[in-house]
Amino acid sequence: MHAKVEEQFKISPYLVFFLVHSIQLGVGILGFQRVVAKTAQQDAWISVILAGASLNIVLWLMYRILRNKEGDVIWIQQQIFGKMIGGLLGTVWIVYFLAMSATVLRTYIEVVQVWMFPKMETWALSLAFLILTYYCLAGGFRVVAGICFFGVVLPMYLILGILFPLEFAHFYNLLPVMNHSAKDILLSAKDMSLSYIGFTTLFIYYPFIKNPQKSYKWAQFGILFTVLIYLMVMVTTLVFYSQEQLEKLIWATLTAWKIVQLPFVERFEYIGISSWAIVVLPNICLSVWAAGRAARSLTKMKQRPLTLFFLLLIFIATILLKGRTEIDVLNDMVGRVGFYIIYGYIPFLFIVNLIYERVKHK
Amino acid sequence: MFKWLKKKKETGVKELPDLIALFSESKDFLQYEFPQNPQPFLIYYLKTMVDDNTLHRDIMPYIKKESVQTLEDLKAEVPIENIIITDDLQKINDGLLHGSVVIRPGKGGKECAIIKAPVNFTRNVSAPEVEFSVIGPKEAFVESLDNNVNLIRKRLPVENFKMKQIKIGKLSKTKVAVLYLEGIANEENVNTVIQRLEDIQIDQINDSSYLAQLISDNANSPFPQLIDTERPDRVASVLGEGKVAILADGSPLAIIGPTTLVEFFSAFEDYFLNWIIASAFRTIRFVAVLFSLLITPTYVAVLTYHYELIPKDLMATLISSRREIPMPPILEAIFLELAIELLREAGARLPTKVGQTIGIVGGIVIGTASVEAGLTSNVLLIFVALAALGSFTTPVYRMSNTIRLIRFPFLLFAHLWGLLGVVIAFCFMLIHLLRLTSLGRPILEPLYPLRIPDLKDALIRLPFSFQSKRPVQLQTENTIRFKGAQAKKKNDFDE
Repeated sequence: MHAKVEEQFKISPYLVFFLVHSIQLGVGILGFQRVVAKTAQQDAWISVILAGASLNIVLWLMYRILRNKEGDVIWIQQQIFGKMIGGLLGTVWIVYFLAMSATVLRTYIEVVQVWMFPKMETWALSLAFLILTYYCLAGGFRVVAGICFFGVVLPMYLILGILFPLEFAHFYNLLPVMNHSAKDILLSAKDMSLSYIGFTTLFIYYPFIKNPQKSYKWAQFGILFTVLIYLMVMVTTLVFYSQEQLEKLIWATLTAWKIVQLPFVERFEYIGISSWAIVVLPNICLSVWAAGRAARSLTKMKQRPLTLFFLLLIFIATILLKGRTEIDVLNDMVGRVGFYIIYGYIPFLFIVNLIYERVKHK
Repeated sequence: MFKWLKKKKETGVKELPDLIALFSESKDFLQYEFPQNPQPFLIYYLKTMVDDNTLHRDIMPYIKKESVQTLEDLKAEVPIENIIITDDLQKINDGLLHGSVVIRPGKGGKECAIIKAPVNFTRNVSAPEVEFSVIGPKEAFVESLDNNVNLIRKRLPVENFKMKQIKIGKLSKTKVAVLYLEGIANEENVNTVIQRLEDIQIDQINDSSYLAQLISDNANSPFPQLIDTERPDRVASVLGEGKVAILADGSPLAIIGPTTLVEFFSAFEDYFLNWIIASAFRTIRFVAVLFSLLITPTYVAVLTYHYELIPKDLMATLISSRREIPMPPILEAIFLELAIELLREAGARLPTKVGQTIGIVGGIVIGTASVEAGLTSNVLLIFVALAALGSFTTPVYRMSNTIRLIRFPFLLFAHLWGLLGVVIAFCFMLIHLLRLTSLGRPILEPLYPLRIPDLKDALIRLPFSFQSKRPVQLQTENTIRFKGAQAKKKNDFDE
């Protein structure tokens, strides 16, 4: 059994665009360039496109799995694999979503500590964000979708900040095109895919969409928009920095923002980092919501105590994580797990689901 | 009913004389006897509630008539409709309290005639003061419910204009009217309003704003969730859109709902002006409100933490104005903001003429003096004054109060975490607004949920030819306002 979502709590299909896009665009975009450009160098932009294109297929697989089902992935897994294994897989999802939100939050706090307030206490900012998250989640999924919507629309002006460095661009940095082996480009694409993960929350909120299959094109548009923005940032970075410079920059986007100069603003990155809170908040909200919802389908408990418990876990996790290396390890781990989920587990689930449907219909 | 009456009732008010004795304790209660054959008439009324003209012109002469012997005769003769003959003490009691004249045959007989002759002192319809508009109608609601409904009905002469009436308040027994257009307004909205009004438990309703507070979705929100207006034209217009209006007797304000956040920033004058100009004014209002909300917190954030944000030349100006100020930016800002609040409150409590003097004294003297004394920087003084102006551009008074209030948490967060604090406070406000509803409909509509057709009259106002459909938000039963097609003018160029 699973709880059916009432019609009044459902969201319009077009909002899936914002849900998919907002969670893909988190802290990653502030500094993904160095990692991605490590192997493919000036051809890294090809990797950005390649990784993005592969997501289209994954998304298609996801919608194919969810088609004609009224439950979320937790329910589907229990149907297919039975109570035990299905429950175990469900737990993996919950842990994954929680790790995702903890990573995003801790990384953002790190950015704030490095760039704005070196003496800022981790717990204080973490607490503020988690209270906001709770306040948002307590309003139901409609509010979560709303914050995702505004998290995409309101910070649009930051795109202008990306364009400023073009004034000092050296476009021949991009040349020669395609002088890396396919292997190098694919390796970079693999690194890039770490930035794209997160939209798997779709597995959980799918039952909340009105006419869910109609949302498919919006989800695709969402991914397309993400790819476009990453591509823009990547190309700007590549033409602005030389390869040697880029290797040393952890937060290449933030460094590029320093170039922005307006008559009344000197250090644009302060505005950028502050505004980024509106980008990060939907990320945390959506993934904690997904964890809470998944746990609810799994345990049949109420979502409120579960969510409060999860928020406490995240709070403790963010305090315990100290220093650059630990955060890096966590980021890497979550990315790796996400990578295997997207390219390993989802195709696997797709095939199993196909067999399951065949057998059941006979 | 009245508690005191109930107690007495148990002890003794079972007969008419007991009731009369109870009333007689009030000085304005009068009773006369008209000796007459074969029996005298006794007459009771509250002097302060009864219209002298009616009494002397339409009642007295008939009582004195020889031919009038019984109450039935009286009922047939007196030229006033709806004369009730009853022995129900409750009805007699209510009648006396609402300005009726009670007549009783002197010898025996429990039955009385209740003749309505209430006096109504109301002021005349005058020009709107809170929602003044340079052009457009110049009438505003008054304190009489019938008068107010008349003002609206004159603008909507259609038979599906419906008025439901409820009495609310244990003591005040205020007549509350719910107005809507049947076949246009969503039944669900009307039912929600009536349901919530019926559920109200309160002793007195002295103004419709009591109702607005009692039936709003979230009473603990600083944001108003229903608009109150004193303009009959605005009420008529939103009724046509499919909204519901609530009027209370004794209140010159109508409440309209469901509403949206952007509606709080649209003046009704926007519809009197050409759409380009109206849209420009509306945009100015939104910018002014955002400015008013964010400028002082930004000032505090930047001067407390982010000096680097300001370019060198601008920094010089700021520093030179703050050079001799002993206080941190947050105290400086709070001092000035409180000063403005003080001026506003003093101005609002004092009579108009004194209030103006206070404004001048406060604005010019205190402002200049505090800068010269080195308590505040003149840059901040400019910002705070502009912010105050910005908040006053809001057409709905209730909303402008909210904007002035929520600036203070923003200031505190700015002091705590700089610009990041401002953004966090903003996120908090955003989530709060996302959760807020007006009669069950999301208040941030048409921004979220995004409803593109409703954007025609939100941040900007498109021309009337674009307004041919009713707002999607209201889920009206008849979505079409009028047929949008218009004959296109052709000139020689198109031929």
